[in-house]
Amino acid sequence: MTTAAPGRLATMAVWTLASMAGLALALFLFAWSGLYNVAASRGHWAVVEWLLAFGMRNSVELRAMPIRAPALDDPDLVKLGAAHFHGGCAFCHGAPGIPVSPIAQQMLPPPPELATSMRPWKDEEIFWIVQHGIKYTGMPGWVALERADEIWAVVAFLKRMPQMSASSYSELALGSVRSASQDGKALATVESDPQSTGACARCHGAEADGPTSALVPRLHGQPAEFLATSLRDYASGIRRSGIMQPLAAPLDSEDIRRLADYYARLSPLKQHAAAPDKSLLERGQQLATVGDPANGVPACNTCHGREALARYPRLAGQSALYMTGQLQLWRAGHQASTDGGAIMAPIAQRLSDRDIAAVTAYLASVAADPAATGRP
Amino acid sequence: MTAVRRLQLLALAALPLTSCADHQSVLNPRGPEALQLAQLSWFLFAVCTFVLVVVVVAAAAAIRGPAGARAMLASPRAVVWAGIVFPAVTLTGLLICGVWLTRAAAVPADEPGALRITVVGEQWWWRVHYPHPGGTVATANEIRIPAGRTLVFALQSADVIHSFWVPNLGGKVDMIPGRTTYLRLRAAEPGVFRGQCAEFCGGPHGLMALRVVVLPPSQFEAWLEAQTRVAAEPSSPATRRGRDLFVAAGCGACHTIRGTPATGVVGPDLTHLGSRLSVGVDTSPVTQANIARFIRDGQHVKPGNLMPPFRIFAADDLDAIAVYLAGLQ
Repeated sequence: MTTAAPGRLATMAVWTLASMAGLALALFLFAWSGLYNVAASRGHWAVVEWLLAFGMRNSVELRAMPIRAPALDDPDLVKLGAAHFHGGCAFCHGAPGIPVSPIAQQMLPPPPELATSMRPWKDEEIFWIVQHGIKYTGMPGWVALERADEIWAVVAFLKRMPQMSASSYSELALGSVRSASQDGKALATVESDPQSTGACARCHGAEADGPTSALVPRLHGQPAEFLATSLRDYASGIRRSGIMQPLAAPLDSEDIRRLADYYARLSPLKQHAAAPDKSLLERGQQLATVGDPANGVPACNTCHGREALARYPRLAGQSALYMTGQLQLWRAGHQASTDGGAIMAPIAQRLSDRDIAAVTAYLASVAADPAATGRP
Repeated sequence: MTAVRRLQLLALAALPLTSCADHQSVLNPRGPEALQLAQLSWFLFAVCTFVLVVVVVAAAAAIRGPAGARAMLASPRAVVWAGIVFPAVTLTGLLICGVWLTRAAAVPADEPGALRITVVGEQWWWRVHYPHPGGTVATANEIRIPAGRTLVFALQSADVIHSFWVPNLGGKVDMIPGRTTYLRLRAAEPGVFRGQCAEFCGGPHGLMALRVVVLPPSQFEAWLEAQTRVAAEPSSPATRRGRDLFVAAGCGACHTIRGTPATGVVGPDLTHLGSRLSVGVDTSPVTQANIARFIRDGQHVKPGNLMPPFRIFAADDLDAIAVYLAGLQ
């Protein structure tokens, strides 16, 4: 290096800084002037659109790298995902038999119609997009970021959707709910949603019908106080769920009371057939009736049996898969912020995987108490 | 720093010691076994002080002393006598003295006439059982004993290693999972002393304390008799409601109240909670307010304890449960 180099370097540095400052100033003046057109109706230049899509693809690919997908072919998972998609996603992304809303079509970029034209993302990449959303596109993140179990249900459904007919979609998404065809006056005067997106029964069933998916809890005959508390906790976001919070949030306290009373009065559903594994059921019965004092586990039935407070759910005949999911959430440290969760979380953390399998299989096989029905 | 100021600081630093001087201190022995330990401690202290003085004087002489003294200290004879023979004789003497003085605590586990009490260390409280022909006597975090009578504590652990130590009454004995250790002691006269788990056992180890209440023998017998009884039937509408809520809220899954459907054994027996001195393992006195606070907010009273917080109760329901429990004499 020559002796003149330090002087030349300094000059170069000054010029670089000055031109950067000039560029920043020019950008600021451009934004300040209002000359840039932010109209969604105008679209992007082709080169900008290419650059944005290119950046998005690479960002999603990089960030999805550490994620590992669980098995996604479980029909219960697909059904739960379909039901959520129907209420949360179909407005913008359409579904078999349901076109994208004309309003959503005018977004920039227009949301892709996923049934026909989904980019060939990997499962993990879809998961990441559903969990976090995408900046500058209008795609929102998941309401309860930590509920990976719920997000995987949506991914499981999205994988199936392209091969789905309109009728099989509506069976998955609506369950037992059938929108009655309304006459002209009703259509003109009654506020109704032709897609029934807010109907609880799409997932939980109603009357004599049970839930469509074993991942969804059975509400029939549960104490009204417990149901109302759960809905309030979902609505306020204390109980975290990207599926339940959007549905519970619009309900006012009278709606919540009426809904809770309705499900509380329904007759409990018939219990599930007992699992064939005898030793598993014996362990489950032991945990439910006497607990495991040496490991600090109290008996489930003391709080979840027929004589307990109406503040607690009854577990006899509840879906084993649903109970397993809740216990695993508590064990992972989630859902401990509700008053009920604060009690259950430390107890769930004292259970092994086998204990969870045993106790849920046993409780699912016990007949619910018919006398509980209608109790406020 | 002046000498006066230094002394003041030293006195200040020693203040915490004075707070345990009375009811949690080895320097205040209140039973023959504790007295022996205190005597042994003082004896050891005296011998150690003597040895320290000799060593300091010898070191000073070896550095600054006259040539004759330095030569003597450096001679092989001095090394043999002062470095080998003297320590061997002194330590052997101390060992014999220690064994002799603490022989009384060496335990014949089935000493006739002794009152046997089982104490199980659990994370992070003490489960206490008394043998009684009239029925079970189960309590927690509080041991009542008769003055003058020989006691044999059978010490067990339900989880990790704990250590049972009531400094005013005797030595420290570990509670080891899978085996029973014993401690024999006697309290000379009535009084209330404090014990403390002396082996780190996780989380709220520092709050794992217990009370030892020494009663005149007749009072002790009356207390033991009262403890064998099942819980009294609630007499007022408020306490009845408290009892019903206690059962319906599932408290009985972990706690026993004899005479009710509550038969849980995960946590402490509450049959006579109102007759105890403290709630939440010696963290606060038994009052209605403190019981309610522990039910709702026990994690702030004793952080890390195994009872989940019960925030589900309306204020008046919580009060009803607390009134009921505080009344269980």
